[in-house]
Amino acid sequence: MADRITDIGPPKYDEMWPQYIKDNYGKWKYHEILEPGVLKHVTEDGFELFTVRCGGTRLMTTLHLEDICKIADQYCDGCFRFTTRNNIEFMVTDTEKLEALKKALDDNGNLPKGGTGACVTNIVHTQGWVHCHTPAIDASGPVKAVMDDLFEYWNSHKLPAQVRISLACCLNMCGAVHCSDIAILGVHRKPPVIEHSHLDKICEIPTAIASCPTAAIKPAKVDDYKSVQVNAERCMFCGNCYTMCPSMPLADAEGDGIALWVGGKVSNSRTMPMFSKLAVPYIPNEPPRWDTTVKTIRTILEAYANGANRYERMGEWINRIGWERFFEVTELEFTEHHIDDYRLAVTTWRNSTQFKF
Amino acid sequence: MPTVTYKGKTYEVDEDGFLQDPEVWDENFAHYVKDSEGISELTDEHWKVINYLQDYYKKNGIAPMVRIMTKVTGFKLKKIYELFPSGPGKGACKMAGLAKPTGCV
Ligand code: SF4
Ligand code: SF4
Repeated sequence: MADRITDIGPPKYDEMWPQYIKDNYGKWKYHEILEPGVLKHVTEDGFELFTVRCGGTRLMTTLHLEDICKIADQYCDGCFRFTTRNNIEFMVTDTEKLEALKKALDDNGNLPKGGTGACVTNIVHTQGWVHCHTPAIDASGPVKAVMDDLFEYWNSHKLPAQVRISLACCLNMCGAVHCSDIAILGVHRKPPVIEHSHLDKICEIPTAIASCPTAAIKPAKVDDYKSVQVNAERCMFCGNCYTMCPSMPLADAEGDGIALWVGGKVSNSRTMPMFSKLAVPYIPNEPPRWDTTVKTIRTILEAYANGANRYERMGEWINRIGWERFFEVTELEFTEHHIDDYRLAVTTWRNSTQFKF
Repeated sequence: MPTVTYKGKTYEVDEDGFLQDPEVWDENFAHYVKDSEGISELTDEHWKVINYLQDYYKKNGIAPMVRIMTKVTGFKLKKIYELFPSGPGKGACKMAGLAKPTGCV
């Protein structure tokens, strides 16, 4: 404990601001998007700030960071920032520097400009097979595959509104899958395997029992071991019990896969925030390129791009045309899996004669 | 599974040094953890916490919530950290031979 420093918190938020941000703090008048990936902010006094947004892989090496720092040193007084979707933003204060910066980024090749306006910007994602112990799918792999396929939407403004895609590798939903236009979610399809011989030694049995949302777990004596039993009929493979009890693993190469969700948003513009809803209950894991997932996402995105009005987010579009029409235009299959059957399910059924054939 | 040997007895532990079987616990295990936790001596206050954790675990099958632990022992969380620098989970529970805390820690 000698010389231990603690409770100092992060550095103050303005410590690393460039001087021109300090000088113009709170004085911004308007902004415009000059081209995909390039923003211009103007203050009341006419001061202009140009921002170039570049794609980030989120998981990055110190070598890549060094690259980013070099560009920031050369063009931006050593300053850059990360966005809330893990993109990288470089800022300059005159058009000459802006052109030089843009060229430097193009030459670098690993920092694609884009992510502004009505585009598909970066995918908020999780740990996957790189680091977590509860995933049903990988994170970095599918994200790379989907962004490769949708790259034309990253550096253009040709969609009706911005489309937020997120990925979570299990239904803990670290991140934003529950509130995104398109969400990629890792799901299991088999109940946990119970390792009776040491469950009681390394798990708190009451915690495991209480972790189950459908009360599928009960205490049981198995071969003289204090353990638990899972009623497979009640289990819907959430994996919560494994999170609490290491003796209940459920990852399975054939069982695990991807569910796609659509129509969520967090902003309050025009309509209230929305949760995303189930569009595709299961697509197999297909490393390394997840072809079916990539193809299905493109199908959904294109149906939206063709059908939605200007400014309409995915969820607003679906609510306007109705879910039966959504399944029709996307040609996605509607199954019993789509029908909510959890506690408040009845509020999601249709209590009306209004529907389209 | 890795093992540790302390004062002639071998304990099976996981990669974080948590005992694999609570039944194997004895006072020497607490002394072994004490050394790796940078605690020079186990005082009565340490033992009060360790004994309480063991009692609660035997009775309820779970580790107590921090609020319950501070209420019953009368030690505020700050005091618990003074006794066990790694905190109630990684420090005290490990020393008391309880199962490793799980969930998104
Ligand atoms: S979503 Fe699940 S598997 Fe992925 S990082 Fe979060 S807890 Fe781990
Ligand atoms: S996987 Fe989920 S539903 Fe199934 S037993 Fe575990 S906690 Fe319950």
